[in-house]
Amino acid sequence: MRRLFGLLLLAGAFALGANTAQAHPHVWITASSELIYAPDGSISGVRHAWTFDDMFSTYALQGIETKTKGVYTREELASLAQTNVESLKEFGFFTFARADGKKEKFQEPVDYFLEYKDAALTLHFILPLKTPVKPKQLAVEVFDPAFFIDFKYADKNPIRLVGAPAACQMKFQRPNDGTANAQKLGEQNFMNGENSNFGMMFANKVTVDCP
Amino acid sequence: MKPASHSSLARGLAVCVAAAFAMLMLDGIIHALMAQNPFGAPRPSGAEPQAGIVGWLLAKQSEFYREMSSTIRAAKSDGAAVWTLLAISFAYGIFHAAGPGHGKAVIASYLVANQETARRGIVLSFASALMQSLVAVVIVGVSAWLLNATAKTMCSAEKVIEIASYALIAAFGARLVWTKGGGFIRALQAPRPLPAMALAAAAHHDHAGHGHDHSHVHAHVAHHDHEHRHDDHGHDHGHVHDEHCGHSHGPAPSELAGPGGWQRGFGAIFAVGIRPCSGAILVLVFALAQGLFWAGIAATFVMGLGTAITVATIAVVAVSAKDLARRLSGTKEGGGALFMRGVEFGAAGLVLLFGVGLLFGYLAAERVTCF
Repeated sequence: MRRLFGLLLLAGAFALGANTAQAHPHVWITASSELIYAPDGSISGVRHAWTFDDMFSTYALQGIETKTKGVYTREELASLAQTNVESLKEFGFFTFARADGKKEKFQEPVDYFLEYKDAALTLHFILPLKTPVKPKQLAVEVFDPAFFIDFKYADKNPIRLVGAPAACQMKFQRPNDGTANAQKLGEQNFMNGENSNFGMMFANKVTVDCP
Repeated sequence: MKPASHSSLARGLAVCVAAAFAMLMLDGIIHALMAQNPFGAPRPSGAEPQAGIVGWLLAKQSEFYREMSSTIRAAKSDGAAVWTLLAISFAYGIFHAAGPGHGKAVIASYLVANQETARRGIVLSFASALMQSLVAVVIVGVSAWLLNATAKTMCSAEKVIEIASYALIAAFGARLVWTKGGGFIRALQAPRPLPAMALAAAAHHDHAGHGHDHSHVHAHVAHHDHEHRHDDHGHDHGHVHDEHCGHSHGPAPSELAGPGGWQRGFGAIFAVGIRPCSGAILVLVFALAQGLFWAGIAATFVMGLGTAITVATIAVVAVSAKDLARRLSGTKEGGGALFMRGVEFGAAGLVLLFGVGLLFGYLAAERVTCF
């Protein structure tokens, strides 16, 4: 009996320990982001603009009262925008920043609003860093580890640096870029045994090097 | 317990565990090779993030899913597009449930835990699929169409239903463990056969183990699918993965057996079918907004039909695997029976683990993404 339970426990432990998420996304976001720099050259936060896909936009608008049918003003969408940012907090806003390899935290979002254009909702918000940093290398990744949401950066101007010191160099890696995957794996997943993080493969990564 | 039977049981179980473990390892290796290239060599640029069968299934699902919104829009002006919508929904349903993981743990475990026919497995797969579709239609019909509730309200309702579903599965698993544990203990206490017989039975156990690995593998694959979020880099994000669209928690066919069987069968269908697919809800709300709610409803049921076909196929495989194991483990008495009871007990334990894991996974991290 005892051996049986031991084996069952073992089987359970393997089952729970090993993992690969094979979800497929239900929400698609076309993103563009700005890294905001303070006058002293430190990074103060990230400004996101996330446009939701047709289906999710329609879903999110369900039950929202509007004066003119099919036209949603920023005021009419204010409560929805608030719901959005409040809910996104739980997921860390899908934004993961590291300054010289150290994880950085964000404050509550500010200046958030929703915009409805061409049958799509766009959520705008600024994520201020808890403490502005001035690292040699800043890395910001945007992805959903569970891959319920598929983040795709806009083809045009995906990332912009706002007010960055002239010497700073920006690199942007999309998830489909093979080198990005290999590098991520080498740096983080493989070393830390964290290659279970399925969504990582779909991460968008910005790195800014300031000498 | 006599040593002979003990070791034969242990050996059988060890084979099961080893087989399951081997499959997990293989799964992991395939993933690593296919999807990530573990040695850091650059992948060919422009390659999909996922390759192989898994990647292909994922890509197909996403494709079909994304086509739904444009097809519904097209159906507003062109009635023929409804047929396209139905075809896409059907394909989506099949692929969605066929994807690895997708919570087929419970169905496989149930089927192994119970001595049941493939036919009952099929019936219950279809019944729970139908119920999932119905629930999705009712949720959207009542909250969005009748009450004009917001997405936030609908999502909260979804969350409540989700918790209820997981709790029901856990309770179901607990009851299975209780009943199967009884059978197992009785088998342990049953008079042992002669050592020679026990050895003969033991000799078959390896085969029996093989026979079982289908079911166990499904169980494990789905399990880690669910549990991965505990390991996720410490970001405790969880989302709806729609394991449930896959009629994941296929009910135990034997729940339909015997006196009062249909009543208990209904209980099983209820536990697994109550949790709707969030994809279906999105499609329904979208169709409603386009003034084509009926098309959304039709699409939802066709989607359910697709998933039911896939899950029923898996149910048949699981049942066949167990039948094979039973035949190979030979005699009804002694080691063979003990082995089978042990396997059933183990499978019942998996259902419980699965339910509890879902429930606490939920409590630790939100599953339904409402934002």
